[in-house]
Amino acid sequence: MNSNTAKNFAFRNLFLCVAAIAITSCGTATFTKTGSDAQIESLRNFELAFIDEFAVPGKRFNAAAFDAKVNQGNAKFQQAIADEKFTARRPVLVDLKGQFDADATHLRSKASRGKVTPGLATEMKKDVNKIYDHALGR
Amino acid sequence: MPSAGKRKRKKSSGKKSALDSALDQVTDESLAASKKEFQDLLAQAKVDTSELIRQNAQELEERLVLLKKRKIDKEDFDFFVENQKRDLRVFVDSQPAQSQERAEKLTLHVLEIAARVAIALI
Repeated sequence: MNSNTAKNFAFRNLFLCVAAIAITSCGTATFTKTGSDAQIESLRNFELAFIDEFAVPGKRFNAAAFDAKVNQGNAKFQQAIADEKFTARRPVLVDLKGQFDADATHLRSKASRGKVTPGLATEMKKDVNKIYDHALGR
Repeated sequence: MPSAGKRKRKKSSGKKSALDSALDQVTDESLAASKKEFQDLLAQAKVDTSELIRQNAQELEERLVLLKKRKIDKEDFDFFVENQKRDLRVFVDSQPAQSQERAEKLTLHVLEIAARVAIALI
């Protein structure tokens, strides 16, 4: 009888340990995923601000400021890709970087020739928000 | 699965969309076939069961109207078409084999014709 009680006690402890490990690992995953989502939101905000700053009709093009912002963006994306713990999410970040590259190329081409149109910023931001929403599974 | 399909555009239901009115002004004979195909496909896409196909058609229509109103130019329009294509390729490839042709016709193909028709709107 005593031996049965001891066995039950051991099983109970084992069960509690397994449950605790499972709960802790779930918590860690959720926390990390949340961190990854926050990183993507930070990239989204950076890109939207970039568009707001440079897709302004009639604004004089400042090549140095533009290049500095693009370099800052490139560094942010590269850091995000390197830091991403979920390997499955890396291609998503690479796609987002591709969108940033395409936006920067188009914006440079338009702004440097003084050809920014009134609807450009709004439409670019629509596309940015769409691709980021898809990246976040929304 | 995209299937809402063969609903015809209402031609005499009163108000025309801004895009239809703009397209009516396109009289270039060489574009007549493209214009007709574009209007038919866009009308199908706008009532498709797939939200992404409907959304794509809606965005395309809005941007053609912006182009006509000169809020964006042809370079911007082409840039946005490329964005839409990039986004949709993944969607088309993820469709079951039997739906892929239709999905492609109502998304990527519509965008390609739109780029041709757009020239006449400027």
